[in-house]
Amino acid sequence: MTTTVSFTRAVKAFGAVRAVDGVDLEIRRGESVALLGRNGAGKSTAISLLLGLNEPDDGEVRLFGGTPHTAVRAGRVGAMLQDGRPIPRVTVRELITFVARTYPSPLPVAEALELAGLTEVAGRRADRLSGGQAQRVRFAVALAGNPELIVLDEPTAALDVEARRAFWDSMRAYAARGNTVLFSTHYLEEADENADRIVVIDRGRVVADDSGERIKRAVGGNLVSFDLAGTPTEGLRQLPGVVSVEVRGDRALLRSADSDATVLALADRGMVRGLTVTAASLEDAFLSLTAQSSSEDAAPAPAADTTVENTTALAEEKV
Amino acid sequence: MLLAYVSLEIRRTLRDAGFVIFGVGMPVMMYLLFTNLGVSGSEEDKAASLAAMIGMAAYGALGSAVSTGSSVAEDKGLGWLRQLRITPMSPLLVVTGRCISGSVTVLPAILAVLLAGGLVNGVELEPWQWAAVGGLLWIGTAPFTLLGLGNGYRLSGQTTGVVNMACNLGLSVVGGLWIPSAVFPGWLRAVSEWTPSHRFGQLGWSIADGAAPRAGTVAVLAAWTALFGAYAVYAYRRSARTP
Repeated sequence: MTTTVSFTRAVKAFGAVRAVDGVDLEIRRGESVALLGRNGAGKSTAISLLLGLNEPDDGEVRLFGGTPHTAVRAGRVGAMLQDGRPIPRVTVRELITFVARTYPSPLPVAEALELAGLTEVAGRRADRLSGGQAQRVRFAVALAGNPELIVLDEPTAALDVEARRAFWDSMRAYAARGNTVLFSTHYLEEADENADRIVVIDRGRVVADDSGERIKRAVGGNLVSFDLAGTPTEGLRQLPGVVSVEVRGDRALLRSADSDATVLALADRGMVRGLTVTAASLEDAFLSLTAQSSSEDAAPAPAADTTVENTTALAEEKV
Repeated sequence: MLLAYVSLEIRRTLRDAGFVIFGVGMPVMMYLLFTNLGVSGSEEDKAASLAAMIGMAAYGALGSAVSTGSSVAEDKGLGWLRQLRITPMSPLLVVTGRCISGSVTVLPAILAVLLAGGLVNGVELEPWQWAAVGGLLWIGTAPFTLLGLGNGYRLSGQTTGVVNMACNLGLSVVGGLWIPSAVFPGWLRAVSEWTPSHRFGQLGWSIADGAAPRAGTVAVLAAWTALFGAYAVYAYRRSARTP
């Protein structure tokens, strides 16, 4: 399989902030990859490097074996940027027709409109559409040129559930034609449902790069927390279902793949004090993932105001 | 590719009600008001009407040229300039396309005022003079298009609108396009001589006198074109640098 995207130790800093801090990443042709990270994690900067909108300060970014500029000029890339809004005083069809004409071998305009679900509003002004429809226009702009690689920066931000699902249906239809898709998101579920592979970015670094299935397992399903009241924490990691253990003050936080089993085991030991079970949030997921990467690289833990006692389970799963 | 972009931009401009009302309608209306209120029909008035026609056509063209920059600023605010940078169009092609579409959208103002002069006010010129006035006023908008583009690339959307409006009115008034600079106080007349807008008007006024534009006029306009061109390039580079 040929390499479509490759980052080699790419670095991009804005002043003192290293927005992209040594990213290595390879995407092969035909893959659907999600770039998962919190706001400010470096996703958009990585995408702007990929599209040649910014130059890396160090390292290298290649598209189809050449520079991003060459690939963009050759019409091999289409993109939907964050914060873009349709321009006023043109119809949807006029806008998509124009974009298609700038590419060497575009999709037929009717087909691009169909794929993006815009056929009914093709004659309307692009700036007089609902939020969901405007988002579809931006998607149609990205795919109008029939590019081999399509890049979507947080494509479903500000969409309601219905519009979100419709959007992903369109996106998967485009990917199914053998195109390479890279999209960024801060929803783990969205990444898991729509990508073959998830690359987790935090503080400008890749902290995990795996299938959605493995990432979810590594993150752990639920968070079980309870008051320690001075009891020792040894042995907690051996409890059934427990993936990792953190101690915050006098409270233990167990990430568990099977919270029922974990709670039963805690009850057996008489440790149920102020116990809560919550679904692991993305925030928690990043804590565990960043802890995982730091244990592997022996680098200092990035977000460490908490103590992570055991990450071996995670590390094993990664291998 | 270039054609597609130029035609898209021209359509967008001509559909802008603000552009049509203020860029085309206003100069025509002002021209007809200035030349038909308290006018006796003497030879002197005829000459004034001719001068006013050219002044107002120049004012309309200048306004339309500068407003190209305002729509660039609007596009920048919408993220459209960034989107264009990831289409196969090169930045040079984008800027060239904008200049071409901008130069086409100045034509309605020029033609509308000249038509009003010929048909409503009965201004009489030789056919070559009509063609030369229209043609020179068209070519002469180049420095103002560049000035507007420079502002558009450098400033935010709202600021550009205000700055371009100020440039438009300031240059038109001081350049003597509204009121002939002959009635200005001496010092203002001296300043006016050096403005691009005054020299722009002179392109047309000298043709109306039956003479070619003077070398001084062409030289001053060329110098302003070079200056505003450098400003536009500088502004474009700066706008491309910021994330």
